Amino acid sequence: MIHVERLSKSFLDYRRGWVPAVDEVSFDCQPGSVYGLLGPNGAGKTTTLRVLSTVLRPTSGRALVAGYDVETQPEKVRANIGYMSASTGIYDRMSAWELVEYFGLLYRMPPEHLKARMETVFDWLQMNDFRDVLGGKMSTGMKQKVSIARTIVHDPPVLIFDEPTSGLDIMVARVVLQKIAELRDLGKTILFSTHHMHEVEKLCSRVAIIFKGRVQAEGEPAALLEEFGQPDLEELFFHLVERADLNKTPANQLD
Amino acid sequence: MWPLRWSIVWVIFNREVRDQLRDRRTLFMIFVLPILLYPLLGMGLVQFAASFEQKPRTVILVGAESLPDTPPLLNKDRTGFDPSLFDTPLEASRLIVALGDRKSSWGDPQTREIGLRGRQADLVVLIPESLKTNLETERVRPPLFYDSADEKSQNTYLRVREVLSRWNETIVAGRLKRDDKPESYTEPILPKAEDVAAPGQVGGSVWAKLFPFVLVMMSLTGAFYPAVDLCAGEKERGTMETLLISPASRGEIVMGKFFTVVLASIMTAVLNIISMGLTGWQLAGQLGMRGGGSGGARMAMGLASPSFVSTFWMLVILVPLSCFFSAICLALAVLAKSMKEGQYYMTPLYMVALPLIFLTLMPGIEINLFYSLVPITGVSLLLRSLIQGHYDVAWTFFIPVLLPTIVYGILALRWAVDQFKREDVLFRESERFELGLWIRHVLRDKGPLPSGGQALLCFVLMLTSAWFITQALGTSLDSLTLMAAGQAGFILAPPVLMSLLLTSSPRRTLRLTWPSGRYLALGIGLAITLNPLVRELGSYVDWLFPTSEAVKTILGGMMAKADNLWLALVLFAVIPAICEEFAFRGYILSGLETAYSRWSAILLSSLLFGFLHVLLSLFQQLFNATLLGIVLGLLAVRSKSILPGIVFHVMTNGLAVLLGSLGTSALAGYLFRPGSDGLFRAPILVVGAVASVGMLYQLWQTGSESDASFESKDSFRELVGTEGQG
Repeated sequence: MIHVERLSKSFLDYRRGWVPAVDEVSFDCQPGSVYGLLGPNGAGKTTTLRVLSTVLRPTSGRALVAGYDVETQPEKVRANIGYMSASTGIYDRMSAWELVEYFGLLYRMPPEHLKARMETVFDWLQMNDFRDVLGGKMSTGMKQKVSIARTIVHDPPVLIFDEPTSGLDIMVARVVLQKIAELRDLGKTILFSTHHMHEVEKLCSRVAIIFKGRVQAEGEPAALLEEFGQPDLEELFFHLVERADLNKTPANQLD
Repeated sequence: MWPLRWSIVWVIFNREVRDQLRDRRTLFMIFVLPILLYPLLGMGLVQFAASFEQKPRTVILVGAESLPDTPPLLNKDRTGFDPSLFDTPLEASRLIVALGDRKSSWGDPQTREIGLRGRQADLVVLIPESLKTNLETERVRPPLFYDSADEKSQNTYLRVREVLSRWNETIVAGRLKRDDKPESYTEPILPKAEDVAAPGQVGGSVWAKLFPFVLVMMSLTGAFYPAVDLCAGEKERGTMETLLISPASRGEIVMGKFFTVVLASIMTAVLNIISMGLTGWQLAGQLGMRGGGSGGARMAMGLASPSFVSTFWMLVILVPLSCFFSAICLALAVLAKSMKEGQYYMTPLYMVALPLIFLTLMPGIEINLFYSLVPITGVSLLLRSLIQGHYDVAWTFFIPVLLPTIVYGILALRWAVDQFKREDVLFRESERFELGLWIRHVLRDKGPLPSGGQALLCFVLMLTSAWFITQALGTSLDSLTLMAAGQAGFILAPPVLMSLLLTSSPRRTLRLTWPSGRYLALGIGLAITLNPLVRELGSYVDWLFPTSEAVKTILGGMMAKADNLWLALVLFAVIPAICEEFAFRGYILSGLETAYSRWSAILLSSLLFGFLHVLLSLFQQLFNATLLGIVLGLLAVRSKSILPGIVFHVMTNGLAVLLGSLGTSALAGYLFRPGSDGLFRAPILVVGAVASVGMLYQLWQTGSESDASFESKDSFRELVGTEGQG
């Protein structure tokens, strides 16, 4: 449901000229599973996800999301994905109900259908006690739930989570991860970026380790550990990072 | 982006309006501030006027014993001036007279000065001892001591002077009566003012100044704050990305926000005007009731509200202005990363807008076709005519103001949508800015062609250097060499330097390629066949907006200096043609082509070409230059070379010089209509028009069908070009 093929994205930087933030990244995500993008900050995870959500245009390469090309059919892509990140803000002067309804309307859901769907979502996330609380007055946990509700209100087949737990306390993070697991079991295609190893271990059936804009290793976590002879993901991660540094082939000096 | 799904625009608009209505700052700016501000200002004004008027002033009169008995200067109690010397008893009561002795401190020059400066009295009148005795025989000049540095003392001086002058009149009247002479004996000429202004127009005088100013300012202010909140604020709170990932297109998002800002802008302006109008009306009533001086009544009339008709039309013209401001504010606001950064953009915006509004406060500036094209100024001047009740003027210029304002609004809106499509604008990371680094970046990461922004920068650079160079040359415009050097300096130098420094392919930028012969032929042919039409248009424009005689003399003088025909051709045809073509069809058009569609680029470049002529020579040339700019742009784009344009340009200017030098020769009589100032005979005109249309059609057709084949040739040429440079 997500097919990424040699995707690259470069930015113009005053200091260094054109810098590739994402360099020839390829991977595939299947329905009913969570695909993990593991990497430190600045590795190119967010840029990759932004290209997949069509807000950035790829410099080269190709990506299909829910069967649509991100470059030629961006509207179709946007209609079929839900995107959530930890930094996703919610409107201060809108209540939980209003905000979710707003996005439902933007997805052009018919009013009756939207209302029924919202009731289901609000029940599922246990949000009924703060339906009418304004965004500015919500706790972090409430805000995260509203964000999840907003992400799935139109019941998209593909969900993209960009570090959805960063900066959250462990109680809220746990709820978010639980809900992602439940969505996976519903058959959604889920792309999930993080820099927490244990989240990958818990959720992901496949993982790509990204560093300096390139995929350093890709596959099922257990198979990767075996291939590189590392005891756990954390060791594997540092091993790959060191190897990339030693090779002295940082992405921006290639080509 | 198009077509827009209006249901989505509506959903976004709905949310944004609801959001703004829940924002206390917006509510305060739009609703509360105007309702509170003007009544408070009005109250302050009334209080101020009252306190200013009613305070009695103290006059010390020294030497009252020397005053004649009739006619009386002082009242019976000697505590004030005689009431017959004032219009109303109220006014008389505002001047209190205290008598002083010649021997007292008020009689002594030094202590008198100290007393006045110490504000113990506002004025001292010293009646000379000789007054009573000499009044019949000579002119007496009683000194009035006052302190002009003190406003109260200054005002008292004016009032006492008025009193003394009336006393003087009374004395003269008494003498005339005594000697049995008519009043006209001393004052044979007495002017009488007859004001023909209709009551509505008098009402407009105060309003006409304030109203456009407040209306324009408030529609800008009302647009600015919501725009910043809707764009920069949304980025700051992290909701922008969510919105961009929703299925709403960028166009729909911009339109939803745009209508919200327009609504806020119009609401702010209208509420301000209503509040201001009501306060003025109220104030007029109060001042009118006070009656008192004629000043109050005049002021009351001046504050009377404008008529219903003018108010209606003012609201009509306000809508496109609000749209224009809203689009500009949106485009600026989306550049900002945070609300705080958004506020920084306010100063430059107001710096540009304010002079355009203040222009309308200057005396002698009346609306004309040129001002109607200037953004903001046109609308302000139109508003002024509407308030003054000059409906005939207002109707004439209503469409000329409305249309450009709508066009500017659409352009600004397109700009805003473009901004919303730019990744670097939407996801701008804070990057450390260093001038050196940035310059290296600009020089290193340059493309083969200039960007749209660089093209506009080039134009601005041309204007700025033109200003400084003409200032430096001073009034020595009579020197022809300097004129030529100036043209090369401010028209040729910026595009050439910029293409050498900022593009990797100056040759392609400036279109330095050899064109195929047919385009040269078309250039020559069109210059000849279009000439009769150009002259016709020129004379029509001159009839609409006559050139002043003074300017004509200067121009004639310049032409006469180049007594040699060849020199004139070089100066007025060859040099300007080369300079202007390099600039407008070279650098600027190439840059605009990378940023906009081909036709927008041609149109925009010819508009800039027209504006250059307005700013550097005569605004009458705007029309000719713009239209010829389109032909020149088409020639350049189709031939991919600068040469046909130069040939066309040289020929057009050259023909003007040559035909001008014909004078009354036989050839002139053969070519021109008798009695006309150099206008061709009708058959020549028709042939020229038909031939021009034919050739323009050719130009249009040939280029578009062979675009593909040219493309490949062009890329080959480009390869050769870059190799040659490398």
